[in-house]
Amino acid sequence: MKKIALSLFFAVVGFTGFSQIEELTPEEQFYRDSIMHLNEENAAIQLSQTAYNEGIAAFQKQSYNTAVKMFTESINNDPKFTPAYFNKAVAQNSMKDYKGAIKTVESLLEIKPDYAKAFFQRALAYQGLSDFLNAEKDYQKAIELEPKNKKVYYNYGTMKFMQKDYYEAIAQFTKVVMLDPEDAYAFNDRGSCYRMLEKYSLAVKDYQEAARKNPKLTFVLNNMGTTQTKLKMYSDALTSFNQALLVDPNFYLAYNNRGVTHMEMGRVDDAINDFTKAIQINGDYAPAYSNRAGAYFKQEKYELAKKDADKAIQLNPKLADAYVNRGMALEMLRDMNGACKDWQKARELGSELAKAYHSGNCSN
Amino acid sequence: MKKYILLAFIGIASLTFGQDVEFKGSNFKEDKDGFKTAKEELDLGTEQWLLGNAQVFVVKSPEMFYKKGLEHFEKAYAFNPNSAELNFKIGVCHAHSTNKDKCISFIKDAHERNPEVDPFIDYYMGFALQLDGKFEKAIEFYTTFETEYRKADDFGKFVKQRKNECKAGMKLVPNPIRAWIDHVPELSSAFDDYAPSVTMDGEEIILTSNRPNANQPNEVGVYDDEIYSSVFVDGKWQKPRVLKGKINSKANDVSNNLSYNGTKMLMSRINAQGNMDIYESFLKGDTWSEPVSFSRDINFKSNERFASYNFNDRSIYFAKDKENGKNGYDIMVSGVKVKRDRSYGLPVQVLDVSSQFNDGPIYLHPDGKTMYFASEGFDSMGGYDIFMSKKIKGGGWGQPINMGYPINTPYDDYFFAATANGKYAYIASNRAGGKGGFDIYKVTFWGEPKTPLFATEDYLLASVAKPIQDPELVGAVKVSSQANLTVFKGITIDAITKKAVEAVIDITDNRTGKVVESFTTNSATGKFLLSLESGGNYGIAVKADGYLFHSENFDIPDGSAYNLVNKTIELKNIKIGSKIALRNVFFDTGKSEIRSESFAELDRLVKLLKDVPALKIELSGHTDNTGSVQSNNKLSQDRAEAVVNYLASKGIAKNRLVAKGYGSSRPVDTNDTASGRQNNRRTEFEITGN
Repeated sequence: MKKIALSLFFAVVGFTGFSQIEELTPEEQFYRDSIMHLNEENAAIQLSQTAYNEGIAAFQKQSYNTAVKMFTESINNDPKFTPAYFNKAVAQNSMKDYKGAIKTVESLLEIKPDYAKAFFQRALAYQGLSDFLNAEKDYQKAIELEPKNKKVYYNYGTMKFMQKDYYEAIAQFTKVVMLDPEDAYAFNDRGSCYRMLEKYSLAVKDYQEAARKNPKLTFVLNNMGTTQTKLKMYSDALTSFNQALLVDPNFYLAYNNRGVTHMEMGRVDDAINDFTKAIQINGDYAPAYSNRAGAYFKQEKYELAKKDADKAIQLNPKLADAYVNRGMALEMLRDMNGACKDWQKARELGSELAKAYHSGNCSN
Repeated sequence: MKKYILLAFIGIASLTFGQDVEFKGSNFKEDKDGFKTAKEELDLGTEQWLLGNAQVFVVKSPEMFYKKGLEHFEKAYAFNPNSAELNFKIGVCHAHSTNKDKCISFIKDAHERNPEVDPFIDYYMGFALQLDGKFEKAIEFYTTFETEYRKADDFGKFVKQRKNECKAGMKLVPNPIRAWIDHVPELSSAFDDYAPSVTMDGEEIILTSNRPNANQPNEVGVYDDEIYSSVFVDGKWQKPRVLKGKINSKANDVSNNLSYNGTKMLMSRINAQGNMDIYESFLKGDTWSEPVSFSRDINFKSNERFASYNFNDRSIYFAKDKENGKNGYDIMVSGVKVKRDRSYGLPVQVLDVSSQFNDGPIYLHPDGKTMYFASEGFDSMGGYDIFMSKKIKGGGWGQPINMGYPINTPYDDYFFAATANGKYAYIASNRAGGKGGFDIYKVTFWGEPKTPLFATEDYLLASVAKPIQDPELVGAVKVSSQANLTVFKGITIDAITKKAVEAVIDITDNRTGKVVESFTTNSATGKFLLSLESGGNYGIAVKADGYLFHSENFDIPDGSAYNLVNKTIELKNIKIGSKIALRNVFFDTGKSEIRSESFAELDRLVKLLKDVPALKIELSGHTDNTGSVQSNNKLSQDRAEAVVNYLASKGIAKNRLVAKGYGSSRPVDTNDTASGRQNNRRTEFEITGN
């Protein structure tokens, strides 16, 4: 390409006569400038590509700020280098700079208007901003441009799930499993949609399918266990939790949830053991403290209940359940004012039970 | 030795179980006067005691009889505390007082001294044990009493009731209700503090107390009942204060029920005829009005007390006894006829909540569906217990339900005043452990069993549980190694004449050995212009017809100034017959000495001859036609030879050089003009061999 340009130039320049070699004719001057420009351009491309690769390396180390910086540098050096825009948007999404990601994608789409993955990224950004209307538009555009990209359906489905539009979410996850019948994630998530719709049997069925696709997914087994507990299939639930713990003996959620199942079965001691195990694995896991407080309350060990609820609240001051449980313990410890304060706090945090306890106990 | 041990044992046993020292003169020979006085006190006390017994036998208040009897008994007791009879009688007086717990020790003492001291000793032993919560043992005594009691009177109903109470206690005490009972010391005294009535907001309480007041105490030192109020400040009840206004008289004034909005109150007091009637007082500002009695429909000849407003203010419930009745007070209801006139219809007994024993006080919950009332009957576990009854659709009240332990005890637990939300209530009780007499207790209901919250936690969305590791980044690129370019500008010229020469040039990148450029220089100008990667070493090969092949090696350094490298390629003419004018060889006019400014061009010729050793040339001198042919010939010959000599002086072999003077015979231009003649005056060389 360069040679052709040179030859053309050669032909165009022509020679108008002899001149001193040191002096440059306007044409030669033009040629030299163009070469210099080409040199600069090549150098910029090189810088752009180097920065771009450094951006990828930073991204992989989850240094998203650096990644964005490097991708920006890449773009500045080569404003037509679309991968840099795209990757920058991904990094911005990863660091939750959704506005930045949207801006980046907009610049990218000016250069490459039919870039399906760009729409996908922007959909994620809009979703991050809870601008679900625009997110939905972008997801649909991405699907239109790339109808066999299961990831778009999957993310669209998760967004619908978060919007509590579970039926639409089910439709999207179903498309994913049609495109990839081995996608355990999609089965799990569709199961969770059914669960939210209180169609627990269908939920368990999907969770089971997900577990068949990938028996190592502990969260699937955990979801299955908690759903089986809702169905009062306590024995099955315990089996599910046990399987999860076989895969990952440190999966404290399974201990916590198995403890709740034990509580449902009236096995308070077993429940306390499980909550304790969860705490041993993750000493910062507030729900296990709150649950153990509830179990101690059941055993009328109110001081222990209060102590655990205190810890749960210390770890997570927004854990409404812990306030409810501590309020109950305080009531039995004859600290009615403390109990009412806790129920009021839990009420503010949205607990319906706390509302009932507060209104039934904290006025004359 | 054995004898002494036995005696010692008997002595200890005597001290332990005590002896019954009867009020007999023979027992107090050494203090006959003291005995006489004590015996008189015992007899006087017994008179009152018997009157009290007669009252309670018909389920009536013992009034002051036991109190009066007790005054005498205590004097006798100071003289002789070891009389089973006296201990028993004192115990009975306490058993029917508001300090029932005091009876326990006296009754037990009497029984220990003489288990047959009185036909009723087993009954009261049962009573004392019942108060003590020893229900099974109490039942045994009641049964013994029942077996041995021979009189064909109505007392059997008391025994039956006591046994039922014990059975109720056995059922209720092991299953306490979900509530706390707290003594309220701020509202209680060593006297009787009772009849609490609390405002809906729980911020004010009305109560009755016979604590010492501004009036004179009665003959047994007891003050009259007055109505007090206390307010709840910073979680504590303030010291009760006598109500302002004319609500309190010098006689007993007993609060019954405060209206739901706190602006009026039902109360009871003794009327002029000596009967207890129901009155109503109204709150004006902070002052309570003179109590107003109700019409005869309510306040008749009998006693009426413990009135309560109904939720809709359309009726009044109260307790009423019957003249000559044996069932104590029963609960009545009277509907309003003309509210403005405070006229009520004839009362009707509420049979569902009336027992064979005293019933009332009554409290009607503002929900209009619930009645709380106290009764000595039903399944009380002793004395007054508080019951709850639900209104039945279509009329009547449901089976009374004992409020349970610890609201109720074998003592008297009565009056029930609840706050609006039902979380708290206040009662009066003479149970053991208070300050004395009736005290005020606060009930805190736990409500329905509270369920702790147990949270499960799930990763419902897989992408949350295990974020997809594929970030969808576009992958890395190979950084392009586009080298910097340097403009390579050049010209191909004749080495001697500096005239442009069209030449074919090949440029080889010596790093790769590949020809990177191949082109022909401009035929008119000999120029070429291209770009080469900087930082390389190149070979350039130049070919032109008639010229010696030219090859050289050159560098294009990195960062060449201005990215420009100039190259002048001088080509050496080697074609036989070529004639090249040396225009820059100068001589003074008419002379053959070469001027110094000619040397540069001649040196280029020297170089050419050295570069091409096979080259042979003829140096020729030329003049214009000015002057004679002969002189021109000679001058041109001399000048040609001068050049040959110069070249030879520079190391060029003479056999390669021929000098010839042509004079003006070979003009290349006209001699008619100055410039033509200028052109004709020249030094040339012609390649003659190669």
